[in-house]
Amino acid sequence: MPSLTAPPPTTQEPWRRVGPPSHRPNIFASMVRGLGGRHWTFKVGAVLLTVILLVLVLTPWIAPHDPAAQDLSNRLAGPSAEHWFGTDHLGRDVLSRLMWGGRFSVTIAAITLTICAVCGTILGALAARRGGWIDELVMRTVDVLVCFPDVVVALFLIALFGTGYGTLIAALTITGWTPFARLMRGLALEINAKEYIEAAEILGSPKWFILFRHVIPNALRPVAAMSFLRFGHKLITVGALSYLGLGVQPPDSDWGKMLLDAQPYMERAPWVGILAGAAIFVTALSVTMIGQGIDLSKPRTTRATTPDGKGTPSHVPPAAISDSEAL
Amino acid sequence: MLMFLIRRTLVLMVTLLVVSVLAFLIPYAGEGDPARKILRARVNDPALTQDQVNALTHELGLDRALHLQYFDWLKQTLTGDFGLSYTSRSPVGDLVLPALSVSITLALSALLLALVFALPLGIVAATRRGSKLDNAVTFVSQSAVSAPEYWIGPVLVLVFARYLGWLPSGGWNGIAYIVMPATALALRPLGYFTQVTRAAMSEVLAAPYITAARSRGLSFPRTLLRHGMRNSMLPVMTLFSFWFAGLMGGSVVIEVIFNIPGMGRLLYTSVVNNDIPVIQGGMMWILTLAVVVNTATDLLYGVLNPAIRVSHA
Repeated sequence: MPSLTAPPPTTQEPWRRVGPPSHRPNIFASMVRGLGGRHWTFKVGAVLLTVILLVLVLTPWIAPHDPAAQDLSNRLAGPSAEHWFGTDHLGRDVLSRLMWGGRFSVTIAAITLTICAVCGTILGALAARRGGWIDELVMRTVDVLVCFPDVVVALFLIALFGTGYGTLIAALTITGWTPFARLMRGLALEINAKEYIEAAEILGSPKWFILFRHVIPNALRPVAAMSFLRFGHKLITVGALSYLGLGVQPPDSDWGKMLLDAQPYMERAPWVGILAGAAIFVTALSVTMIGQGIDLSKPRTTRATTPDGKGTPSHVPPAAISDSEAL
Repeated sequence: MLMFLIRRTLVLMVTLLVVSVLAFLIPYAGEGDPARKILRARVNDPALTQDQVNALTHELGLDRALHLQYFDWLKQTLTGDFGLSYTSRSPVGDLVLPALSVSITLALSALLLALVFALPLGIVAATRRGSKLDNAVTFVSQSAVSAPEYWIGPVLVLVFARYLGWLPSGGWNGIAYIVMPATALALRPLGYFTQVTRAAMSEVLAAPYITAARSRGLSFPRTLLRHGMRNSMLPVMTLFSFWFAGLMGGSVVIEVIFNIPGMGRLLYTSVVNNDIPVIQGGMMWILTLAVVVNTATDLLYGVLNPAIRVSHA
């Protein structure tokens, strides 16, 4: 057992000594602080998304009915005190089905998005740091994959492997990581030219350390914005595939599947389809607002340059195109 | 520029190769005898005895090594011969080309519609940044981007076809049939076009040459037209071609909803019916065209934008 007064171990590599703990960057905290808290679309989107996520997480406890419980004597009933959003063609409670279905939609979108963001960011950063053939390989792959329509790629994979969650996630990942790689490569090229990277190199930091400790953390803000923007896009695509009957398979159901099931009854009971679509719309809108809010509000360093201390300096173009560019 | 061309052509070839290998493998994936699946696309008589299958398998070389079969198949496909559709018994090429023209018509109408609304919205927002109007445009564009077309489509049908009876609910017989699907399809590109126009225009308007033009006495609308539009349209153009390349393959959902005989619906029905020759042909056509259109745009971008032209030289 080492004595408490023993000197700290000196075997540590020099590049690990990044100052006292209080000076070390807390990546998570700075990310939250740096997010676009000031922009109105960010605030509205954040409130919306929080409410939606809270409802989805609490669904097992707060859902008013069993989503699978059929009541054929009460089919396609309009909104009432018993069934707030009415019932569907099998007499099932629409509100409960929306809540349970949302868990599927949002989870699948979140899983694919996480894979896309992690792979794309690492590959993009790697391409920029290493250059050469790695850069060429990654970026040319991006050039190609970026122009493949995602639903078409999904159809292709379904033709090869059949429907299923694996196929669904794979299809959305193949087309989904490219915008992250493009964005990250651009950012990493900028970061590469910074003095702190040079300093880290002089200190002898290994390549992986520079990549994961310096390059990627310093690009997290735009990557976060992109993640939120792409989340809406993924949610809509997952819904589209379910709507075509190729995404979520029975007995599971998600918002796209609900819209599909409601289709034949659109005239008799329009609320079922409209509400299912509205659920996708509102969720997608909330994340889009958050993403753009992050994008539109400049980081503090730039913001400080405006004379009045608020609002973005007019000469800095908003980065709103970062998503659309790569869509 | 030449290097760029060579590189992109190389990328195109590799893409085609990968896509073709995957398409070739479709009959070998899933259940059933691959030889039978392939024969079904090549022989008009669907009811074959096992003896006939064995004979034909040998005759067409389907019992040889996979890579030899692949080269045979590739040779056939490069002449546009994908075999016969399982369901309609007509050659795949005869199905793909008309569908492609339908999808291109729909895509162009939708994107032009989006552009007509997006450009003014984006420009107005850019000239009044931070105003209530700008915020409204931002919100509208965000809503447009988040609206699933398979939600807007059925709602449009409900209102304009069922309740009001103004427009046909589906089919493809003339201009009235384009209105609703194009509108539903235009919404998301409209949102993106607006955002990009706003961003590009804001950037241009802050440039010194705009101030210079204004101080020379050029009126604001003229400055916008002459200097603003010209310099802010490149990103919009890229996005336009990007969407065009994607929609050329058809918007699967919209074509299914409105029963439009385009590429998207063709692919969808072929996957649902497991119509292998059509899947193979359709995928090869669409994915190739998507890459070709995007490569062409990148080239055009290089020609139109002097900064890129110089850096690539």
